[in-house]
Amino acid sequence: MTATRVLLRMAGVARRRAGRVAVDDLNLSLARGEVLGLLGVNGAGKSTTLAMVAGALRPDAGIIELDGQDFVDRPEIGRRLVGWLPETAPLWPELTVREHLQASASLRGLRGTAPVEAVIDRLNLGPMARRVAGVLSQGQRQRLGLACALLHDPALLVLDEPANALDPVQTAELRNIIAERAAAGSAVILSTHVLAEVTAVCTRAAILHEGRLRHDGPLASDADRQALDKTFFTIATRAEAA
Amino acid sequence: MSVAAVAGLELRRLRVRPLAWLLAALTLGWLAWRYLFLLDTFMKMQVKLAAMADGPGFTDLVAVPLLAELLQLSFVVVPLMTMTLIASDRRQGTLPLLLSTGQPPSHVVLGKYLAALCWLALWLLLALAMPLALAGSVHLDFGKLAAATLGCALMMAALAAIGIACSAFTAQAALAAVAALIIALALWTVNAGARAAGVEGGFLDWLAMSTHLQIMARGVVGTNDIAWFLIVIVVSLALASRRLADERGRR
Repeated sequence: MTATRVLLRMAGVARRRAGRVAVDDLNLSLARGEVLGLLGVNGAGKSTTLAMVAGALRPDAGIIELDGQDFVDRPEIGRRLVGWLPETAPLWPELTVREHLQASASLRGLRGTAPVEAVIDRLNLGPMARRVAGVLSQGQRQRLGLACALLHDPALLVLDEPANALDPVQTAELRNIIAERAAAGSAVILSTHVLAEVTAVCTRAAILHEGRLRHDGPLASDADRQALDKTFFTIATRAEAA
Repeated sequence: MSVAAVAGLELRRLRVRPLAWLLAALTLGWLAWRYLFLLDTFMKMQVKLAAMADGPGFTDLVAVPLLAELLQLSFVVVPLMTMTLIASDRRQGTLPLLLSTGQPPSHVVLGKYLAALCWLALWLLLALAMPLALAGSVHLDFGKLAAATLGCALMMAALAAIGIACSAFTAQAALAAVAALIIALALWTVNAGARAAGVEGGFLDWLAMSTHLQIMARGVVGTNDIAWFLIVIVVSLALASRRLADERGRR
């Protein structure tokens, strides 16, 4: 990984939440074109990590650099660089799908209707464009959240459990989108409980447990993918036994 | 232009929020009824007023009292309008999303404040349209009306800023509304005890919102009074911004 290709660098990142250590001494780098699968059991610190990468949370300690710039003290650089889909896509229930996308575009500093129309086409949101978010099903909400995250063509796409409530067709479509983004030179972080999701689309896998990074390795071959399964359960069950 | 983007988002939400329409309809209906009542009283007093050399006119007996009615309503309406501005974003989880778009907290607060001001300005203009509709038939003291309108606008702007500050500190919209109402009433009556004891003109008098508004209602606009409202607005918005800035570091 050359220095110029590194998009995200986290060094010694720590964060407490709800009175306990959620993330501790996390060191992670991500290059453009990489798809990182972030695995971990419930409460491992995945969502906290992603919220920090998205700029929604400030770390208590450590460095987060985005495209070589300090992202902790300058969260505004994430406006055009980062697209984030939180675990349960938060939406404004009064707004229609199109209004959501227009508002998101405006907040990201985008002008004109072209980005909104492009993402509506790409995610096939046309039939529900005039419906208010408050009446959407969980899967539709997830797709709208994904559309908001993709709208500004971000260099780093942060997806927290994106396949939640998606049907198999939509899940396959999500995999295509992730592959497209990576091919276009974006980096993607995908947090999930589902190992198959990671082995299907990711080029690298990291395992968080109790806030610490316990594994970080490539998924280049079938052997890597098979080994990931064993590694994950070893980490999760050993820690539980301890 | 992130302030404009946040304001635009908030205006879109206000436009489809039933509470905004309901409050506007109910309060304007009430004001229209009060306006007719004031006008009727004014008409009945015409003979008496004609005999007075320097008696009160349409502005003193109809227009300014109507604005006073509007102000009384605004103690309830403004907290109800502002209670959800930030609290609902926190409850729905859209606040982290908003902050993750790289908006400085001050821009988020200012954008939401501007949206609330737009609604309040429309409300004030519609109320003001009632006395202005008779401007061609009666003698209107435009100077006095302008001073009273300025006082009214400043008070509503101050109440909105207090409402946003309260909304920034909680995820419960109702709690924000109650807190804003209590703070506004406290600011209005802070000098009541001193006045009852016969003490006037001290710091408590300066601190009271009523002192500054009553001066403007008489048609006198002083920089001291304008400064008081601006201080309340700036302090409230700064507190709200500070609270949002802490949101990213909150445990």
